[in-house]
Amino acid sequence: MPPRHRFFSPGRIGAIAGNTLLELVRQKVFYFLLIFALALIGCSFFMGFLRPELQFQVMKDVSLGAMSVFTWLLAVLATAMMLPKDIEDRTLYTILAKPVPRLEYLLGKLLGVLFMLAISLGVMAVLFAATLYIKEQTTIAAALGELRQAPPEQVAEVVRNVKAATFTWSLVPGIAIIYFKAALFASLTLLISTFASSWIFTIVISVAVYLIGHLVPIARTYLLETDGSWISKAFLTLLTLMFPDLQLFNLTDDIVAGNALPPGLFFQTAGMGCFYLAIYTCLAYLMFSKKEL
Amino acid sequence: MPDPAISIQNLTKIYPIPFKRERLTAVDDLTLSVEPGQVYGLLGPNGSGKSTTMKILLGLVPATRGQTHIFGRDSSFVESREEVGYLPENPYFYKYLTGEETLHFYGKLCGLRGEPLRRRTRELLHLVGLEDAADRRLGGYSKGMLQRIGMAQALVQEPRLLVLDEPTAGVDPAGSRDIRDLILQFKTRGITVLLCSHLLGQVQEICDRVGILHKGKLVREGELEKLIAIENQTQLIFENASPELLARFEAEAAACGARLVEKSKPHATLERFFLEVTQ
Repeated sequence: MPPRHRFFSPGRIGAIAGNTLLELVRQKVFYFLLIFALALIGCSFFMGFLRPELQFQVMKDVSLGAMSVFTWLLAVLATAMMLPKDIEDRTLYTILAKPVPRLEYLLGKLLGVLFMLAISLGVMAVLFAATLYIKEQTTIAAALGELRQAPPEQVAEVVRNVKAATFTWSLVPGIAIIYFKAALFASLTLLISTFASSWIFTIVISVAVYLIGHLVPIARTYLLETDGSWISKAFLTLLTLMFPDLQLFNLTDDIVAGNALPPGLFFQTAGMGCFYLAIYTCLAYLMFSKKEL
Repeated sequence: MPDPAISIQNLTKIYPIPFKRERLTAVDDLTLSVEPGQVYGLLGPNGSGKSTTMKILLGLVPATRGQTHIFGRDSSFVESREEVGYLPENPYFYKYLTGEETLHFYGKLCGLRGEPLRRRTRELLHLVGLEDAADRRLGGYSKGMLQRIGMAQALVQEPRLLVLDEPTAGVDPAGSRDIRDLILQFKTRGITVLLCSHLLGQVQEICDRVGILHKGKLVREGELEKLIAIENQTQLIFENASPELLARFEAEAAACGARLVEKSKPHATLERFFLEVTQ
């Protein structure tokens, strides 16, 4: 006989999360990593006309930008189809007809996507670091060839400069922030899919929120600095409260320029990502717990 | 006195129709009870409220009014589902999982782990005759095989109640007979079965009691034999009876005031004939 029912079971959540991850793996979502790898390789080969330091800067800029877009896209697409597909195929009925609370089902699905995002971003980061390392070694070898007659201090400085321009640990917090942004969008997409009539609608709304999220700082500036009508102020206040300020997640420019991310700013941004993730997940549960299947 | 396997009291479900003032009553003041060990057939035309009743019983849809209990426990609570296995109509399980992985997944949802889970999976694959297809992905399963793996997942936590919604829909006669035999096997094991089906012949073969829903209301309910028996008629079937003997019976019956309603040779069922030809 199976053990007695537990009100909240990490084991059941783990089973659903593991199954969601397996689904995404077997649906070959990781194939998009090939596109990322090709973009990286292409980027590193076709910039020979630039100065080495500039080449590294462009590579970092392009790679972090691609990582951000790919992870966000993956979060939205993978999450948007989960719930409607389970309802359409009636698989959800067979799961909820077992002693599985709806909260555990939602958490399991979300965790599965978050695992997948972590793996994808991890693989992209490794590919990124490897490409930078290879580029660094070829650049140093070329520089050493050119500086055969130069004094050792000059050679050491060139090598130091090249190494400082490639992969440094200061990039890691930037990559972590990309993850928090994607996780926030996974939970938001899950929330939308609990009441959306189709997955296309879910994706459209998620993209709209992405655009609105980047406009929030403009709304806030308008709110603080202009004397608009109370209606427009009320609308903008609602907008700034409902949607996260996605510009706050754009920290990579500074990092690419070589500036380390202050720990305070990192934890503030990560905390904001976790806050919205928790809020959207709670709202998703509220919607889903009342949903008639 | 043990609790009934299913107890439904004054159950009503009303759906609002979007953008209209009208409301749709899917189930209307339904009261019924299924005793442990029974095979109960819930019948009715499309839209009569069968699936809604099942969904309310499984907590998938809330009731507007009334109560539903499973072995004495309020069925709107998640814990009540420990006792229930459910097979929906035309289910599509995760196509990327193999038969064995599917049962492992559902087993884990019911708290099974390790060797007990592996043992239970082997037992169920044997029970539904899918041992040879255990390593194949469900995407390559036939309709009948999907129904059988669905039946296996419904049984994974050894429930005392099985809720089956059109378990033979779209399945060929051989597969349909296998499923019917499985249900009869559950009956001998003391498992209560609530069966929804349009195949009245099959329901007649396996159900102890039936309830007929029409427009959300229970219009007839009771033991199957009593419901369909024609009280003032008797059927005798002879083997090797000569025409003279039959003529004497007819004459004797007429002399006693009885009327011969029909004289015919019994037929084998089309299903039996089909299976003899194809196997």
